[in-house]
Amino acid sequence: MRNIILIFVALAAFSCTDQLNEINANPNATEKPQAAYLLTGVEKQGADLYWGTYYNLSSTLLFVQHWARIQYPEPDRYEFSNTSAELTTLWNTGYATLVTDLNTIIAFPNEEANSNYKGIAQILRSWVFLLLTDTYGDIPYSEVGKTLVPKYDKQQDVYTGLLDELSQAAALLDASNGSISGDVIYKGDVAKWGKLAHSLRLRIALRIADRDDNLAKQTIASLNVADLIASNDETFQFTFGSSPQHNPQSAHFDTRDDYRISKTIVDKLITLNDPRLPVYAQLPSDTSVYIGAGNGLSNSAAQNQGLSKTSLPGAYFLQPNAPAVIYSYSEVLFNLAEAVARTYISGNAEDYYKQAITASLNQFKITNATDINTYLAQPSVQYDAANYKRAIGEQKWIALFGQGPEAFTELRRLDYPQLTAGPASVLEGKIPVRFFYPGTEQSLNKDNHAAAVASQGVDLLTTKLWFDVN
Amino acid sequence: MRMKKTVQSILSKKTFCSFVIIFTLSIGAYGQTPLKGNVIDDATGEPLSGVSIQVKQGKESTYTNSKGEFVLTTAQPLPVELKINHIGYKPVEITVNDNNHVTVALEEAVNNLNEVVVAALGITREKKSLGYATQKVKGDELTASKETNIVNALAGRIAGVRTTNSQGDMGSARIVIRGETSIAGNNQPLFVIDGVPVDNSQLTAPNVGGGQSRDFKNAIADLNPEDIASLNVLKGPNAAALYGSRAAHGVVLITTKSGKNKQGLGITANIGLTLANVATLTDFQDVFGQGENGEFSYVDGKGGGVNDGADESWGPKLDGRLIPQFHSNGVPVPFVAHPNNVKDFFETGITNDYGVAIAGSDEKYDFRLGANHQKQTGTVPNTEVNKTNLTLHSDYQIHKRIKVGANANYIVTDAPNLPGGSYGQRAAGVMLQFLWFGRQVDMAELKKDYTRNWNNSYYSNPYWRAYYNTTSQDRNRFIGDVHFDISIAEGLNFKFRSGTDYYNDRRKYKIKTGTNGTPDGSYTEDAYTISESNTEALLSYTKKLADDISFDILGGFNVRNNSYANNYQRAPKLAAPDLFTLSNSKDPLESSNYYSRLRVYSGFASAQVGYKDYAYLNLTGRNDISSTLPAQNRSYFYPSITGSIILSQLLGLQGGVLDYAKIRGGWAEVGNDAEPYQLATVYNIQTAFDGNPIQTSSKTKNNPDIKAEKTKSTEIGFEAALFGNRASIDIALYNANSIDQILKVQTSAASGYDYQLINAGKINNKGIEIQLGVVPVKTSKFKWNLDLNYAVNRSKVVELDKEGLLQRYVIGAPSVQIVAAVGEKYGAIFGTAYKRDAQGNIIVDNNGRPKAAAENTILGYYTPEWAGAISNTFTYKRISLSALIDASIGGSIYSGSAQTGYYAGVYPGTLPGRDAEHGGLTFTDANGKTRDDGIIFDGVKEDGSKNTTILSAEDYYKSSYSINEAYIYDASYVKLREIALSYSFSKKTIKKIGLEGLTLSAIVRNVAFLYRTAKHIDPEAALNTSNGAQGYEVLSLPTTRSFGFNVNIKF
Repeated sequence: MRNIILIFVALAAFSCTDQLNEINANPNATEKPQAAYLLTGVEKQGADLYWGTYYNLSSTLLFVQHWARIQYPEPDRYEFSNTSAELTTLWNTGYATLVTDLNTIIAFPNEEANSNYKGIAQILRSWVFLLLTDTYGDIPYSEVGKTLVPKYDKQQDVYTGLLDELSQAAALLDASNGSISGDVIYKGDVAKWGKLAHSLRLRIALRIADRDDNLAKQTIASLNVADLIASNDETFQFTFGSSPQHNPQSAHFDTRDDYRISKTIVDKLITLNDPRLPVYAQLPSDTSVYIGAGNGLSNSAAQNQGLSKTSLPGAYFLQPNAPAVIYSYSEVLFNLAEAVARTYISGNAEDYYKQAITASLNQFKITNATDINTYLAQPSVQYDAANYKRAIGEQKWIALFGQGPEAFTELRRLDYPQLTAGPASVLEGKIPVRFFYPGTEQSLNKDNHAAAVASQGVDLLTTKLWFDVN
Repeated sequence: MRMKKTVQSILSKKTFCSFVIIFTLSIGAYGQTPLKGNVIDDATGEPLSGVSIQVKQGKESTYTNSKGEFVLTTAQPLPVELKINHIGYKPVEITVNDNNHVTVALEEAVNNLNEVVVAALGITREKKSLGYATQKVKGDELTASKETNIVNALAGRIAGVRTTNSQGDMGSARIVIRGETSIAGNNQPLFVIDGVPVDNSQLTAPNVGGGQSRDFKNAIADLNPEDIASLNVLKGPNAAALYGSRAAHGVVLITTKSGKNKQGLGITANIGLTLANVATLTDFQDVFGQGENGEFSYVDGKGGGVNDGADESWGPKLDGRLIPQFHSNGVPVPFVAHPNNVKDFFETGITNDYGVAIAGSDEKYDFRLGANHQKQTGTVPNTEVNKTNLTLHSDYQIHKRIKVGANANYIVTDAPNLPGGSYGQRAAGVMLQFLWFGRQVDMAELKKDYTRNWNNSYYSNPYWRAYYNTTSQDRNRFIGDVHFDISIAEGLNFKFRSGTDYYNDRRKYKIKTGTNGTPDGSYTEDAYTISESNTEALLSYTKKLADDISFDILGGFNVRNNSYANNYQRAPKLAAPDLFTLSNSKDPLESSNYYSRLRVYSGFASAQVGYKDYAYLNLTGRNDISSTLPAQNRSYFYPSITGSIILSQLLGLQGGVLDYAKIRGGWAEVGNDAEPYQLATVYNIQTAFDGNPIQTSSKTKNNPDIKAEKTKSTEIGFEAALFGNRASIDIALYNANSIDQILKVQTSAASGYDYQLINAGKINNKGIEIQLGVVPVKTSKFKWNLDLNYAVNRSKVVELDKEGLLQRYVIGAPSVQIVAAVGEKYGAIFGTAYKRDAQGNIIVDNNGRPKAAAENTILGYYTPEWAGAISNTFTYKRISLSALIDASIGGSIYSGSAQTGYYAGVYPGTLPGRDAEHGGLTFTDANGKTRDDGIIFDGVKEDGSKNTTILSAEDYYKSSYSINEAYIYDASYVKLREIALSYSFSKKTIKKIGLEGLTLSAIVRNVAFLYRTAKHIDPEAALNTSNGAQGYEVLSLPTTRSFGFNVNIKF
């Protein structure tokens, strides 16, 4: 019978192959990616992720007590499951969007992407992997994109690998290799990308400093300060546009009113007479003093603080085009201060520390020299050589306001300021020190997930990561 | 010539097919006594044509004409005995004493040997020759139910058919036959109307928030049951293999009414009224009102007062104490319960049906023209659906060898506003606001002024949402075909049919300016154009080869074209208030569109060989060439072989108690192609940023080497009729393996993609279906029919990928995951469980709250253990009373409503422990306050010691919020689905008032639950019709109970 049927359809089969191919050509999307378009996409989507509702507003910004939730404070009490978007978005967007698009650029033949594209892509990819390991610990790294079920690499191996990758990436960059379009952050200035690569190496070296002092020292010693981000103009930040491509923090307040600035940081800024207070916070509509909201309260306690009696985050942060700061000049200076303090490089730690604070104040448009010097002269602000982690930790925490992911990692590494979990928080008085792996990993990458948990420790919010010694 | 051979072969069988003998013997008769009369169907009163009338004592015989009338002249003197025979009806003998007109009513035979059924491709076959199970539902059973969605009308009627409905009485319904045979596919059967395959999708644009806020009806709900003559279910690949790719999930064949055999003027009018009210609304507690921590006072409803931003009922006792409330302008007024506040929001839904059909026929033509208008208002205020169906069914014998015809259905659905579904969110969800609720809220006060509200943090006034935040739907649909049949020579026929199903569906979503959560308002248009066309040519040949062997062969060719277009545009913020146009947008419009099309060329053939009318063998084969597959795999072939043996005839067992016994069996394979555009991996374009185009991964890795997936099914069955057809049984056993499934598997994002297309996966379904029909009592005036059906299906996911890397496939993840896990039943509910010790005690943390297990586990399966139904019909003279009870036992459902209801403290289940009166423990809280609402969670600490930490009731009931296990319920239910009563006036009575027929009927649907454990919901509910939304309910609208009244008049 088969033969009879084949005769029936043979004619169609011969005459229609082209036609059927044409019918199945997808009119909705392109099969042909372009490096410039992918690059814009990664920068935009990376900024949306880093500064976004899930990874920033309703997780890390609460953990570091920059912000507090006045309505629906469950995330502020750390009531998450392993499917909560707050904890899974970094993983899903980081891998399936950012790393994948960057891998596409890296895999292009040279005619389609010159080596500058590839260098930039590798730098951005290193940044994404850094976020992932800082947040989850052991992560898929060496096998990403190569198998359905990539293994998890140890955090130490990820950091070490990224240090190498960033060196390679910096070496790919040269203005003579061809121009770059689609770069909405540095406008194709490859020198600035090179500075970012080296600055990221500085950041990573300090991450591992408490564990692998030698490699940290060797890495930082090899850096040339002049090759680092050298001014606020060179800060790695994404400047948003107007609605709907506006700053995610601004976008959130368009329709919701869930957050206030945290009481913890407001009180600290008040204590320090910090000129950044009016930038970081708004006056409540009912009072003329800045009042932060408590973290980790019960729903009723949170609401009873009163929406009109507590301070919103500063207008600077809520304007549509507010930048998503990813690596600031101020952070570079804090890192150099710490590198000196750790005797990795020579120099004056206190000078770097003061420059870092100054850079931060400048970043928020506080430029009056008298005000700055008055601030720096206060004993409570002064550098503490005996406990550099405290001094740097506290000031870095203030400088990183709004930049939850980095603040979260540095808080865990430097252990200052010492924060207290909110009264109704659910981790027995602890503050999270990592994210859960997404629950989907248990379904989709079962064995590798199990191996990672066996190696790193139970998949809990309170399981310390390798870099986090204390 | 051929007839003669037939006669001879039948003569040798003597008792068989007596009507044919009569036909032969009647040739050449002449007579003296004239007799006249007509023959009608006993049940419907419709005239029957082609009925054989034979004089018992003599040789004379004739057939009824198209009006069911006969005239016969016999040589025999009066009284004359007549034998009356018709296919599918019980033979009757009557005695005629005079020359007056006689009316003979024939009763339909159950399991009659010669029953003719519609098989694949619309071919009619004698049921005895089929090697697989089919089951028929008559049109009047469907119309009687008065369901507005025909899928709901099938509930409990057919063994192995499972239906679920989603949202109240205006939403979608899902049908699955013999379990889920596809891991990722939609698993619903193909619907075919008069030979034209039609669409039954539930359209929602992907990745658009607004698209999901309503549970739009599945497309087959467009049909008007009044137009349906019969519905035949082909339950699996064995029956449906000739339909090709889409047959793996079975086929529902719908035959619409034609104009044949009409009497009188042929006008039928129908008027129906159905009233519906909410039937499964949960109970609420009415002891405590809005607030937190026992405190509440209203100022602005968004945190300005004491807990007045809270949308929960953990506030003060409803004891009449004086508290300012939303309607009191700051004046303290009594804080009291309004137990019916939610119930009062719902209204009585009213459905009006007006239908008229004109039918007529003569020797050459027949036609039926039907028009029906249905207006339905829902139980949710300001909801309405209007549906108009116009149908034309016509055939014309243009030449003695050529018949041409055309069918057309034009359906206009106009819904000014549909009820907000689970995903309506704050702007439109209905139950959302009532489960997050203050129990003291006086609904009447909300109704007085839509601008005020009990809570302004999250919601707008429920009437504001119902009347201002609307979603409309307009659908224009045409289903039709042209066809012609040519009788080329004796036994050789050619059929041609070209049919189409085409519709536009446009939805408009309005959110009023000033709505809480969407302060600027918004406007969205979402439009679809869907079409499917099929052109088919079929050549068939029937021949008796030898005396004992007959065969039918056919071969054909089909071209199918499908297309889909979606255009979505949204003004996310309105510029000028309340001007709902796309151009009135403050922000750039959000827009997307999606087009797809596919074409399949198919060639098919079948052969049936019959031996001595008791053994049959059927072979089929089909070869498809699909545009969705890569060139090298584009063509795929699949065969089937089925057979049947009429044991009673073979073994000579007829007579005595046994009327009929048959065994059947077969093996079939069905191939299935991919979706369009699953070969090449693509990149999506997003809105350009600052003039820079954005391209990004579609997150799905496609597969250029995809090949067709296959379902292989083995089925055996047994049928018997006993006691003069007073009892009948049909048993089917089947085993289906679906292999090489085209799976868009969710993969770890770390693989680089969220989804990858693989060609693997194997799922097994096996099961038993039993249908039993009994007529326990039958007298001339009274008859009791008892029908039972029972079905068990067991599915097992055998493998996902060939390498065994994947252990679970996520079918859906509304909040718990619905997965297909290797080695497990399909549709496992996978999520967080309580952390337990070795003894099974729940472990609590230092605060006395339950801990969640670190690893997710399977919490249940949405597929039931078994399903069955009992239908009883009692007929006394012209009154008929019937009741349908159906049961679905086993299976689980995750209730998002319960998760909310407990958290927000509105469920009666949150009363225990809330004060001393309700058994609360006295304790001192962290603030040093002494309180009497303490509860200890029943569990142990990590060290194994008994938990002694006292939680406040509020903390206690909130403590399991993120533990999915706490909200898993047994989905078993037994429903008294339907009670129906009808009365048909006798012809004699109504002839006097000029009518041909008059039937009055009344029906109650969803009468009561006879059993269920999930008391707060309808466990039959699901989120929508997709696989991954089964076993999951969240904030679903209550199911309705309806009371229908109907008048059917024939002129």
